[in-house]
Amino acid sequence: MAPSSSSGLTFKLHPLVMLNISDHFTRVKTQLNPPSSSCATRNIPTTVGAGAATSPQNVRVYGCVIGAQRGRTVEIFNSFELVFDPSSDSLDRSFLEKKQELYQKVFPGFYVLGWYSTGSEANESDMHIHKALMDINESPVYVLLNPAINHAQKDLPVTIYESEFHVIDGIAQPIFVNASYTIETVEAERISVDHVAHLKPSDGGSAATQLAAHLTGIHSAIKMLNSRIRVLFQYLVAMQRGDIPCDNSLLRQAASLLRSLPAAHSEKFDDNFLMEYNDKLLMSYLAMITNCTSNMNEVVDKVKTAYAKKSRTGGSRIPFM
Amino acid sequence: MSSTENLITSIQGLSASSGDLSALHRILKGAEETLRADSDLQLSTLDQLDPSKHSLGYLYLLDVLTCGGPMSKEKASEVVLLIARFITSCDAEQIRLASDKFVSLCKGFKDRVLELEDPLRGVAPLLSAVRKVQVSTKRLTALHPDCLQLCLQAKCYKAGFSILSDDILEVDQPRDFYLYCYYGGMICIGQKKFQKALELLYNVVTAPMHSVNAIALEAYKKYVLVTLIHSGQFSVSLPKCASTAAQRHLKTWSIPYTEVGNCYNEGKISELQAVVVAHSSDFEKDNNLGLVKQAVSSLYKRNILRLTQKYLTLSLQDIANMVQLANAKEAEMHVLQMIQDGQIHALINQKDGMVRFLEDPEQYKTSEMIEVMDSVIQRTIMLSKNLIAMDESLSCDPLYLGKVGRERQRYDFGEDFDTVPQKFSM
Repeated sequence: MAPSSSSGLTFKLHPLVMLNISDHFTRVKTQLNPPSSSCATRNIPTTVGAGAATSPQNVRVYGCVIGAQRGRTVEIFNSFELVFDPSSDSLDRSFLEKKQELYQKVFPGFYVLGWYSTGSEANESDMHIHKALMDINESPVYVLLNPAINHAQKDLPVTIYESEFHVIDGIAQPIFVNASYTIETVEAERISVDHVAHLKPSDGGSAATQLAAHLTGIHSAIKMLNSRIRVLFQYLVAMQRGDIPCDNSLLRQAASLLRSLPAAHSEKFDDNFLMEYNDKLLMSYLAMITNCTSNMNEVVDKVKTAYAKKSRTGGSRIPFM
Repeated sequence: MSSTENLITSIQGLSASSGDLSALHRILKGAEETLRADSDLQLSTLDQLDPSKHSLGYLYLLDVLTCGGPMSKEKASEVVLLIARFITSCDAEQIRLASDKFVSLCKGFKDRVLELEDPLRGVAPLLSAVRKVQVSTKRLTALHPDCLQLCLQAKCYKAGFSILSDDILEVDQPRDFYLYCYYGGMICIGQKKFQKALELLYNVVTAPMHSVNAIALEAYKKYVLVTLIHSGQFSVSLPKCASTAAQRHLKTWSIPYTEVGNCYNEGKISELQAVVVAHSSDFEKDNNLGLVKQAVSSLYKRNILRLTQKYLTLSLQDIANMVQLANAKEAEMHVLQMIQDGQIHALINQKDGMVRFLEDPEQYKTSEMIEVMDSVIQRTIMLSKNLIAMDESLSCDPLYLGKVGRERQRYDFGEDFDTVPQKFSM
């Protein structure tokens, strides 16, 4: 169901779209399965595109993606939600057109490029919706987000499908084919997306929890970078040893990556870097010593209470405060 | 004898799993008396057993055979060889079931080795014995001081030093602890690691004791001398955390040392040497004469160090005059030695014989520093963890809880606190 696309189009996806889809999905999921309620499947009056929901994970949300196409580049900028009609198993057409008009007024350059949904794989039923959209855009795209959280997976769980006519069993049928995409962003968008992605708990928390959250984020980012570099390194070492056939294009890419690193090997840089590193180490050392001293203090107090000699007179006792 | 043969077969049979081992242990404990009474028991019967698999049984038999009184030299060396082989090949798990027996066996081993006047033979087996008996690296066993004593006698300080690098947190017998710290201090002095020696001797001097014992006294004498060598200062009063018994009595028994210390504080070499000569018989009796001589030579170092705080540059002749050295050559040698040891930072200009004292050039921005810092931080984290564990175990101590409950009753904090029961029915 997912051979590679051969249309030659390059797709560029903006992070805003992914945020919108995930927000939509989370919202619907929470509304359908609020944490405080006991029954999971209540009939909720708001029908924001919820499909047949037997369990929260099977909730499918639907929406439309808009953007611009310039030449062979398709850039997906934004998205909005759509109403799904479970009876006819298709999207509500009038709603879509109304929204499309509104968006056209605000973003004159953007057209409907396709639609999105959530799930792990593209189904047959999705083809109906896809065909229905073909009269707005002759070759719509289907953006699929996999809401299952998989910590081992390092890539984004977003796939873009195109439809192509392939000959299967003698009949020309449209099927979904995988299309590769890149993430593209504008500076302003990056800042706001970053801000949203790192939302702290609403009560602010104490400075300690905020610092801890911040440092955890940095730590996981560095860990991921470290593991990727390690993979590359092992690959290169294996190539050097001769276990893997030499791939020149990969070597060129690696070399260009290394050359693009900031050329900061001057002595002054090393000096400053080491000095700052040592300063930080000294600070943590000081913190550790203070921590240790307070523990020691506790232990000494307890020992004194437990094993004190009886020679102390009652009046000279200092109360524990 | 049939009972011995039965015993041997049961040892061979029951040495497999831990359930069998406890059964075997009970059998052995019961059979100990009969074994001792058995006069036919020979060392050759031990050949039927394998020390690594049947360690428990081997241990019992060996103990019965070798705990006897004085032996001839050949028998003693044979026994020593046997025990040494046993110790190196025995199974640690089985040994820990009968640790007292093992400890007494090793102590007997040590005595025989000392009788044979060949302490070097005993060092390696006792080192491995210590590791096998130790339940965890934080616990002090009765074998630690014995092992250190053998190392001292054999003058192999490096082997002893490897034991000293563990941090000891739990102690069974105070006497073991005193001996361990005292011997450990002596080993560190032998290795010229005066900082660590100072720590260990300090532990002995300030250890809680009801009455002064000889170990603490000897340790105090060495402690005084090592403080002089290492830090160049001497204070007559003991640290505040020393026990009252120690504070009252230690000084009265070590008068020559306090005199040396006081004289050192004055800083005059000739007077110090006079005092040393006057009390040299006392020092010789305590085997401390070498240490005293080291202390005297360290006085020069201390005086030169004092000079760095007063002067920026000085000529070698002036140094010699102020420190009462013979001539400029000797002064140069001393300064050179100190620069190499890292005690001072200076530049010697040989053309005009001037010495310029410099500041500590350590900028704390090298990568070696990072490693030092990292290891130090790790140590502090370990220490913190140990302290927290100690804190928790203290909080559950009934002695502590009883006293806390009693105190709480005095202060009426409204009706919030219910009193801690004073007696616990266990």
